[in-house]
Amino acid sequence: MRAIAWPALAASLLVLAPSLAAQQPEFERAFELERRGNHVAAAEAYRRLLAGNPADPNVLLGLERVLTELGRTGEMAGPASEALRAQSADPVLYGLAVRAWTAAGVRDSSRRLAERWGRIEPGSEAPWREWGYAALARRDRNEAKAAFLAGREQLGRPEALAGELAQLATVEGNYAVAAEEWHHALSENPGYRASALSLLGQVPGDRRPAVLAALDGQSDPALTGVASALAARWGDPLIGFRMLDARLPAGQEGAALLVDFLEELRPLSSRDAAQARGRTLEALAARTPASRERWLAEAARAYTEAGDQMSARRLLAQVGDAPGGAPTLAAAAGGTLVSVLIAERRFDEAERRLGELRAVLDPEEHDRLRRDLVRGLLGADRLDRADALVADDSTVEGLALRGRVRLLQGRLGEALTDLNAAGPYAIDREDATTRAGILALLQVLDADSAPGLGAAFRALQRGDSAAAVRQLAELAATTPPERGGAELLLLAGKVAAAGRDSVKAEALLRGAAETPGTAAAPAARLELARLIARAGRRDEATALLEQLILDDPRSAVAPQARRLLDTLRGAVPGA
Amino acid sequence: MRRRDFLASGGVAALAPVLRLAGPLRRAAWLLVPMDDGQADHLKAYGVIFRALERGERAEWLLNYRGGAFLLPGSSAALRDATLTGVTAEPVDDAALVAIRAEIAQTNAEAVPLEKAPRVAVYAPPNAAPWDDAVTMALNYAGIRFDKVWDGEVTGGGLARYDWLHLHHEDFTGQYSKFYLNYSGAPWLTEMVELNQRMARQAGFPHVPALKKAVARGIGGFVENGGFLFAMCTATETLDLALAARDVDVAAAYADGSPMEPDATARLDWSLALAFQQARLEQSPIAAVFSDIDGHQVNSAGGRQPLGSFTLFNFSAKIDPVPTMLVQNHRQVIPDFYGLTTSFNRNRLKPGVTVLAEEPGSSWVKYIRGDRGQGTWAFYGGHDPEDPQHQIGDLPTDLSVHPHSPGYRLILNNVLFPAAKKKELKT
Repeated sequence: MRAIAWPALAASLLVLAPSLAAQQPEFERAFELERRGNHVAAAEAYRRLLAGNPADPNVLLGLERVLTELGRTGEMAGPASEALRAQSADPVLYGLAVRAWTAAGVRDSSRRLAERWGRIEPGSEAPWREWGYAALARRDRNEAKAAFLAGREQLGRPEALAGELAQLATVEGNYAVAAEEWHHALSENPGYRASALSLLGQVPGDRRPAVLAALDGQSDPALTGVASALAARWGDPLIGFRMLDARLPAGQEGAALLVDFLEELRPLSSRDAAQARGRTLEALAARTPASRERWLAEAARAYTEAGDQMSARRLLAQVGDAPGGAPTLAAAAGGTLVSVLIAERRFDEAERRLGELRAVLDPEEHDRLRRDLVRGLLGADRLDRADALVADDSTVEGLALRGRVRLLQGRLGEALTDLNAAGPYAIDREDATTRAGILALLQVLDADSAPGLGAAFRALQRGDSAAAVRQLAELAATTPPERGGAELLLLAGKVAAAGRDSVKAEALLRGAAETPGTAAAPAARLELARLIARAGRRDEATALLEQLILDDPRSAVAPQARRLLDTLRGAVPGA
Repeated sequence: MRRRDFLASGGVAALAPVLRLAGPLRRAAWLLVPMDDGQADHLKAYGVIFRALERGERAEWLLNYRGGAFLLPGSSAALRDATLTGVTAEPVDDAALVAIRAEIAQTNAEAVPLEKAPRVAVYAPPNAAPWDDAVTMALNYAGIRFDKVWDGEVTGGGLARYDWLHLHHEDFTGQYSKFYLNYSGAPWLTEMVELNQRMARQAGFPHVPALKKAVARGIGGFVENGGFLFAMCTATETLDLALAARDVDVAAAYADGSPMEPDATARLDWSLALAFQQARLEQSPIAAVFSDIDGHQVNSAGGRQPLGSFTLFNFSAKIDPVPTMLVQNHRQVIPDFYGLTTSFNRNRLKPGVTVLAEEPGSSWVKYIRGDRGQGTWAFYGGHDPEDPQHQIGDLPTDLSVHPHSPGYRLILNNVLFPAAKKKELKT
């Protein structure tokens, strides 16, 4: 119940704040004792003040605070009753009394006080809310529910205190009741949407279908909006969109729900989320004629991210047909079209379009698209064109990409220069790690040109791991182990292992492991142990790892070997 | 291993025969396992020592010397073990050892012989996940072998086979950690309830609280007869409540069919408890709080106290070797961590309880110990030293990323404690 605030605290602060400027010295002393944490003395000081004025709300609230700190909230009942006897028309005092009697566990008194308070403030939910929250502070949900339901009955409104009852039902797992209450709560105050999402979002996985069905079953678009957002949070954004789409009202109300759903989708990065984003934006375009082209351009981009080039093209055609579109919109649509063309492997057309957009596109966006184009060209083995496109790129990302192009061309000396210049921070961590491994290989090979190695990397780029393994092994056979032959064998073994050819991988890794004195040997032993462990040969893997550590405890791979040993022994999670 | 006839009848002398017989090991016969900031893996170091004792080797615990270092004979097995686990072990020749002993003699330090690996048991239900208990995690990570025991073994007298017993977050009042109402319907709670009720029926008890009281008495008897008990989290508080409530119903109606007796607090017999006295019971069956023993009251509305840091006490190693062993650490101030029972209010401690760590300026302490009959116990508040907030469903702690955890070191000090050679206590 952490999401439920305790309004009493806010009330006490509000009342206290204006009084501090005008308080008497005795009050200042009591407050100072409280501030210093001397709660026992503060309680006594507040009590002395009450002897003179039993209905002073600031003093009473001070006493309530320190008694709460002391775990003696039950002692508030007496002063609260005295205060009401002296001043029976002050809602603040009623709030205090309700809390005191609830803390003391006297339900009948709490109810009577709430009723009296209700007579002073007819139509107010505050008395019942105060009683209910005080009961929740004692973790007594039954009394809290009784308080809220009593309030609803007294007020004669079926939607009264719906937010409170919805939260209770949600926490208790009564989702049918919760859906009905959330329906009332959202009708009264749409601001409850965040609370509904926050509380329902914590429902365990096995109860989620029931929650979605209960919310959708209310036939309330706002509630379906909550359900669709939850579906997105729980990993089913397309289901969320379909639920919303089925109940979407016309006009602005529907558009507002789509915008809410879009906000839920924004932080999600899966293909399904991108697809759902595209469909949501497309639906939004249909409902907002004034912004139609903008939403369509964004939808096209989302479809491109989702790999749905057909939908992207369909929308781009509509944006292109729109008369008098803004230049920035045309540029964004043009950029999206370049992405579509790259995905469709129409590289020449993509390059031409990109050239046309150079003047209107944001420079960073232009560079991003150019690098996407280079990556596409690499995949298509069009290395010369790729090389030309990155020839003048001096950014770290550009250097990393150019190094890769030259590696695939077998121009090892230039590749080494570019990859070194790119440094360890370009692109993402995974790419940087791969680059570091390639750098290590190039340094030990110490050659300006090796077309065979370029061919092997090109095979890898195409996803032809069998050809890559063969070419790397052939190259290793003609290279002395200490001049890079061992590293090439290790790389071939890793590629074979990744390609699930475990027999070949084991042979290659054993070959690399038996190259004494090379840096590749311990790394190959570690990879071999990983391979063997994955095959379920735990004892053999353990023996291998132990020998690796004992042979060279200071090796750079020793920490990884120890970690793998721990995992095999079940000493750390993940075993 | 019995208390009151405790420690070093002479650390050097105890190892002398090994040294003399060692022959070729004479010139670099020893391995010093430092436990200060020079140690690469503090937690695994305890495993290296434990396994050396299991192999029949003897060791010394150099209290207050380099963070509570260990000295091992320089056997190839010990060297191999340290190398494999990544534990820092420095070769020491006889001349260097003489210098170390001289320093120990002149400072607040002591050398305590470790003779025999204790037989370790962890009290946990059969379905307990290995990552749900800090001690199980520490033992697994350090590679210290242990058996799991539960109610059947305890009530059947099975604890006699062990030197050391650990309890973690079990609720010995039999109220399922008082999660019964707040987590009703949660699969893990349903499983916990069914398992405990089945166990109670099998053992012939009318309900779970009755079973757990019998288990608590069994554990109390284990300590009386010379066992070492180490408890953390809720096990500390609820064990004492269950012992003190021998003739009182302190359990809510959902656990045993009848509500807590109205005058239960007044009728508790604290003479039966190990550590606490005069505590007030929490009456509400909904609040996941047992009493006012815990200073932090993590689940108490309005009563929850923020986490600070706790400080280990310094003891005289030569006069008080027992508490000195239990607080060996490379850090004196340690960040605090919550548990269902996080700390112990000072005003609820029995006279004679030794405080090992406290939060300065607060009314609570973190880590305590004491004696009962021929045995000894230590209570350490909190659930997981490296997961300060610990919520149900949190990811398990991976100790390989906390190899220097000072909070976990305190747990492992307790494991090696029963291995120390006995001698008459001086205090």
